Amino acid sequence: MATDRLGDRHQAAGPILEVTDLRVTYDAGATPVQALRGVTLCVGTGDAVGVVGESGSGKTTLALSTLRLLPGEAAISGSVRLGGQELVGAPAEVVRRHRGRTAAYVLQAPGRGFNPVRTIGSQIAEPMRLHLDVSKPDARDRTARLARLVELDPDLLESYAHELSGGERQRAMLAMALACDPPLLILDEPTSGLDSTTKAAIAETLGRLRQEQGLALLVISHDFSLMADLTDDLAVLYGGVVVEQGPTRTVLTDPRHPYSRDLLGAYPSMTTQKDLRGIRGSAPDPADPPTGCPYHPRCTQAIDECATWAPELSPVAGRRIACLRGGVLTRLAAKNLTKSYRTGLRRTVDALRGVSLEVREGEVVGIVGETGSGKSTLVRLLVGVDEADAGTVEWEGRTLATFEKAEWADFRRRVAIVFQDPFEAVSPLLSVAEVVREPLDVQHIGSGSDRAQQVAAALAGVGLPPTDAFRSRRAHDLSGGQLQRVAIARALVLGPRLLLADEPTSMLDASEQAKLLVMLKDEQLARGMAMIVVSHDLALVRKVADRLVVLHAGEVVETGPGAEVIAAPSHPVTRALVKAAATLGTR
Amino acid sequence: MSRPRRLRRATRTLTILGGVTLAVFGVLALFGSALAPFDAGERAGRPFLEPSRDHLLGTDDIGHDILSELIGGARVSLLIGLAAAAIAVVGGGLLGAVAGYRRGAVDAVLMRTVDYALVVPTIPLLIVLASYLERGMRSQILVVAVLLWAEPARIVRSQVLSLRERTHVLAARTFGAGAPYLIRRHVVPAVAPLLIAQFVRVVSVAILFEVALSFVGLGDPVRRSWGSMIQFATDRGAFLTGAWKWWIVPPGLCVAAVVCSFAFVGLGLEERFDRRLARGAQG
Ligand code: SF4
Repeated sequence: MATDRLGDRHQAAGPILEVTDLRVTYDAGATPVQALRGVTLCVGTGDAVGVVGESGSGKTTLALSTLRLLPGEAAISGSVRLGGQELVGAPAEVVRRHRGRTAAYVLQAPGRGFNPVRTIGSQIAEPMRLHLDVSKPDARDRTARLARLVELDPDLLESYAHELSGGERQRAMLAMALACDPPLLILDEPTSGLDSTTKAAIAETLGRLRQEQGLALLVISHDFSLMADLTDDLAVLYGGVVVEQGPTRTVLTDPRHPYSRDLLGAYPSMTTQKDLRGIRGSAPDPADPPTGCPYHPRCTQAIDECATWAPELSPVAGRRIACLRGGVLTRLAAKNLTKSYRTGLRRTVDALRGVSLEVREGEVVGIVGETGSGKSTLVRLLVGVDEADAGTVEWEGRTLATFEKAEWADFRRRVAIVFQDPFEAVSPLLSVAEVVREPLDVQHIGSGSDRAQQVAAALAGVGLPPTDAFRSRRAHDLSGGQLQRVAIARALVLGPRLLLADEPTSMLDASEQAKLLVMLKDEQLARGMAMIVVSHDLALVRKVADRLVVLHAGEVVETGPGAEVIAAPSHPVTRALVKAAATLGTR
Repeated sequence: MSRPRRLRRATRTLTILGGVTLAVFGVLALFGSALAPFDAGERAGRPFLEPSRDHLLGTDDIGHDILSELIGGARVSLLIGLAAAAIAVVGGGLLGAVAGYRRGAVDAVLMRTVDYALVVPTIPLLIVLASYLERGMRSQILVVAVLLWAEPARIVRSQVLSLRERTHVLAARTFGAGAPYLIRRHVVPAVAPLLIAQFVRVVSVAILFEVALSFVGLGDPVRRSWGSMIQFATDRGAFLTGAWKWWIVPPGLCVAAVVCSFAFVGLGLEERFDRRLARGAQG
């Protein structure tokens, strides 16, 4: 195929694009809108850098500022160096000289960039006639070559924009952008509005162009899969600042900023089996951006400082993130847990043999194993009602074994557990209200009427009537499903940051199981808490778990993202579990 | 269905009967001095009088009115029984709770002691203790309590042992409940009905033991219980004269009535508690 370069382009030493502490404020309405609040970004020769964010994050402003295409009312400060030339404060004709030649901008919404009454071909040729001073036949020749380069049928060059499909128009746009052979393409949502096959084809073309032409790309999009296909480096933009920046793979497979994690979670992907989840709260208002960390009103792990201190990007696990707490917290970590029980005078049984696992904020980890795999022992160790023979359990980095009294009380408030059999887990002597109120009583939280209110709220939260009549019923007079909900309300009443559910649905019938699981998942999402679901039933766990840990004979035999583990189980035990789950069919 | 129901109805009747009887004796014990025709310590007439209008149950060897003594004895007997049972049940219960809660060596030691306490023959032990201790109410209470603590201890221990493994107690621990809360909220309410039933049972046995104790000479020489009445009467040869009919039989009957009544009430309580347990278990 056409591997010909379009000619020797003028190469500047150093990065093509260097954005430093860029701030852009639109001063149009009554209140100035701060679209960018200090963004630093660098694109070197041949690099492909992505900027991902939701609408309102400032990503389009960023794209436009790189060529100073911003409307007049935008006040810009900081520095944008394109091909070594500072654009901020530069005279208009200097800026114009770089447009199309050092960097070309590929507009969002293909089609809008074309004049409907001129042929595509003449429009592609226009920039080179403007900038490069080439003759008409040369230009026609070059246009044909460009068309081939972007895989656009050269016959279409004689057509008008409305005669082209969306994909073809986008290719024509690309050809036009490439007309003056710029070393950098700025692509703003290059595939939005295209169907997925066209999208993939365009992405492929772009990838090829980058390879063959040594093109650098700055891709602005909200589309993670495009980023994965096209870019090597990724910056996540939120509220006008970069919150996470690093190698695309690293960021996408293991996002560490709470926002990136939540945004990825909200993104529909072929590799997740879970439902789409939105991020609680709403995007910040650029006219009145939050103080401190821009994400703090929506962040589930925010602390008081987050509202006052603006975090700076700093390196964490192979990328840089801006978070005062060092990114997504590891709530609970178990390291090398070993535990054996005496069964006779001399005999002992190894319940756990060196089990390690981690649960991060907002994450759902499924622990799957058959009876006797050590699940129950592990649960007891994780919630700190039993001690390991060796190994440690850490809560937010502090070892349980070294806890002081106050730390224990705090831990007890933050980690809750739902047991398998609600009739066992709830005292037969108590009423519904007494059961749900118990944690508040134990922790001495609130006055009597506060507690009554919280109980009512907790009951309503799990879909039970918060009426007086219901609350005064004896807990054991309820049905299994209802009582399990009561037990869940009790577990949630203290607002835990980690919920451990030990076979939470195994005593219920199939329809109740599904309902209860959906409810648990909803609660988990709404509260952004971490959750561990322990079960023998892989079919059930995979519905809710982000990550799976397969336990067998007291050891972790497999662990990984839920979908991967199920799609390609590597250990025989996992394979057996997957098979067993599959044959259950209906669930 | 009908057999258990008939049984239950019989138990109910017995329980009510026992309750009424106990109420009567309770009134006698509380207000005896006002109800009795004479002061129990006063020489009301000539010694060894047979029953008459003035002395419905005659007089004893000193001339005390036997009916008045009988009424006064209610207070002493009941007091000894209740006090001894309270000590046995509370003390035994605490020991059982500790054994069940601490487990391990503490449990082993305490429970071996319980085993011995349960198998040591009572009467010889009574006699041995009697020869070492001073006569009087305090000794009696102490001895009876020592004889009866083991059973409550055993019951409470097994309850606590099973409770501490129950998931709802584990659940309470996971949201931060410590031992005081667990005992107050989960152990005591679960064990209390059992202990109350135990208490009632132990009272009846304690009253019986009191008689035995008095008989072997540990009775209080001043404040006469029914047991010491019988002992005195026997000493003064009541069986040789016809006097046993009014001197020994009435206190004997009183003891029997009170012991049976306590047993009946205990039975009723246990039955009720069992029903509650069964309901709890089936959910
Ligand atoms: S923890 Fe604080 S700094 Fe980190 S993302 Fe949340 S709100 Fe921002």
